[in-house]
Amino acid sequence: MKLKEKWLSLDGWIRRLPLLPALIFTIVVTQIPFVLSIYYSLTNWTIFPRNSDLVWFENYIDLLDDRFFKTAAWVSITMTVSAVLISVVVGTFFAILLNRKFFGQGLARTLIITPFLVMPVVAALIWKTQFLGFDFGLLNTILGTIGIDRIEFASRFPFWSVVVTLVWQWTPFMMLIILAGLQSQSSSILEAAKVDGASSRSTFLQITVPHLKPYFELGTLLGVIYLSQVFDHIEIITGGNESTKNAPYYIYQKAFIDNSYGSGSSYSVVVVIASIIIATFGIRLLSGLLADNEGA
Amino acid sequence: MNKQRAKKPFMFAVALLSAFSLLAASCSSDDGEATKTTNADGEEVKEINVAIVDNGAMDSIEKLTPKFTEETGITVNYSFFEEQNLREIVTRDVSSESDQFDVVMIGPYEAPQFGTAGLLTDLSAEEFAGGDEDYNLDDLVDPVREALSADGKLYAAPFYAESSFVMYREDLLEAAGQEMPDAPTWDEVAAIARAVDSEDVAGICLRGKPGWGDLGASFTTVLNTFGGTWWEANADGSIGEAQVDQPEFKEALEFYVDLVQDAGQNDAANASFPECRTLYEEGKVAMWYDATVAAGFLEADDSPVAGKNGFAQAPVKATDSSGWLWSWALAIPEANENKEIAWEYVSWVTSSEYIELAATELEGGWAAAPPGTRKSLYENEEYLAAAETFAARTLESISSADPDNPGTTPRPGVGGVQFVSVPEFQAVATRCTEEFSEVIADSKDIDEALANCQEIASEATVEQ
Repeated sequence: MKLKEKWLSLDGWIRRLPLLPALIFTIVVTQIPFVLSIYYSLTNWTIFPRNSDLVWFENYIDLLDDRFFKTAAWVSITMTVSAVLISVVVGTFFAILLNRKFFGQGLARTLIITPFLVMPVVAALIWKTQFLGFDFGLLNTILGTIGIDRIEFASRFPFWSVVVTLVWQWTPFMMLIILAGLQSQSSSILEAAKVDGASSRSTFLQITVPHLKPYFELGTLLGVIYLSQVFDHIEIITGGNESTKNAPYYIYQKAFIDNSYGSGSSYSVVVVIASIIIATFGIRLLSGLLADNEGA
Repeated sequence: MNKQRAKKPFMFAVALLSAFSLLAASCSSDDGEATKTTNADGEEVKEINVAIVDNGAMDSIEKLTPKFTEETGITVNYSFFEEQNLREIVTRDVSSESDQFDVVMIGPYEAPQFGTAGLLTDLSAEEFAGGDEDYNLDDLVDPVREALSADGKLYAAPFYAESSFVMYREDLLEAAGQEMPDAPTWDEVAAIARAVDSEDVAGICLRGKPGWGDLGASFTTVLNTFGGTWWEANADGSIGEAQVDQPEFKEALEFYVDLVQDAGQNDAANASFPECRTLYEEGKVAMWYDATVAAGFLEADDSPVAGKNGFAQAPVKATDSSGWLWSWALAIPEANENKEIAWEYVSWVTSSEYIELAATELEGGWAAAPPGTRKSLYENEEYLAAAETFAARTLESISSADPDNPGTTPRPGVGGVQFVSVPEFQAVATRCTEEFSEVIADSKDIDEALANCQEIASEATVEQ
């Protein structure tokens, strides 16, 4: 069928029509605001005092000089990488433990999954007051009983307090992915390795880990996507400390506390562009490794 | 045959699209504009939406509102917000004229700024307080009324007003052999705090939580009396050079940080008014420098430390007074379409009758009545009896606050004690107090924090 005929054919439209509401909704709710954001980033829009003049690339030039934003970007990177790496390692550990049958395996698995189901704000509050709290927190009570001085965890170690909370929440997620990987190993290969006399350590390192590679990559990719957007934990546990202020939090402050929507939009646009670049590399890496694995 | 076939899917598509748009239209919620709708009986139903700060002093409003609804038939929907959130939401709502709230709670920082920008209703006009003799506009305490006005027009009606002073446990100070003068200096207060400080009881509770209304308020009063300031003022009142790199600023910050670290409460970097109040009431701190409204709670009938407290003027160094001036007040956005109903509510809640109602109906009694707004309260026998220890001191603190000249140098903006009355102050002080809070938590060096703050504050300077 020629293109014009294809477009005008009724059959084609009958197929496309049910998709139209969803498509229109997506365009209206994601693409139009995105285009508007780019427009706002070219203005000096603030609501108090009222300003709404087109200033072209002034916001972007100011952004380059902003060293606090560079700190925030660096915090974003370090916080995401730390949280993801630690979650993957601890998640793998739990997955290995849960991979064998034992009494209460189902219950143990459910309990380990629970932190992931808790709302971020609630998880942050639990950690801030019940675990890390100074007067009544679990850790400080234990320290007090042993006889060591209490520590103000959230105030003195804000970065690691946030990372620990994130790890607590995301380890179950990583564990589930890795567990799927472990359980998809073919038992015949493992038995063959056992028969050939391989120790459990070399079985793990030479058979299991290569098999798990795509699962690690998947978990890392998803973890990075979600953890780079962390806001709730930072707000609740530290309320805006330079060492925990990541890029989204910084932009939130610029836009909603400073009420500079124009400036805030320019930061968002820069973050989106940077994320697209990083994500593109990440996905290329992932599909490259997957292709490798299949070829091998 | 072909045409028939063509018609059916087309009509189906039209039907689907119209159904979808009808559904979408009917789903739009009535986003809370003040409504004069009719209910099932055909009677007029009056409703207003009010945004209020969530700081313990406002509990009384929600408890007593049913009486208002009974009398006037107006239903009040409250939205409680934590201070920072309230400011964000109110600024957005009022500036964009979106009319989501009929009445908003603001203070002397926002009232003159929004008022001069024409965003708030002039409450001193004839149709509101100006023509209402019962409201008694002249009964409002003068400095409070001025702080909420611009060009002689009142832009917000005060619910309660406060300054700051030192509250201390007379018994604990006596036990440590210390005596607090009526009008102490900061050095005297620091010495007493260090002397009283012990393992179980901290010497003094000072705010340390980041936020311009938290650490920012306490610290700025110290800064003022140490001879420092945030910015110079240009000749036209706009923001001049940032003064964070000046020796007075560092002296004030060092003094504050050292005092908190030596004799202050644990976990100071997370403490603001509610935390210090809890610590004081539990007997874990011996002194507390904070808002005068706290006195009402500490001396209330149901307070665990009632009768044990003394009160002294806000400590000074280079100025005659240093207490701040703040009032949580209710304003009606200019864009609001139901001002008469909104004013009915505002005039009820800020009237002397309300104060009497709160005093007689609530557990705190007269001592916990909303203070600082009306001269008649300070002539009321019952109040003076219950609030004997702090009523005069509170009024004195409020009256001696000088928003136009709170320190030793002129400031930009239209006047404020614990803040600078310019829109940029909000963001600058929030970010700077984050830095200072880290210094208090001992996780940042003071010079680094000051350098960062100087950079942040300099962004707001208007070049001349």
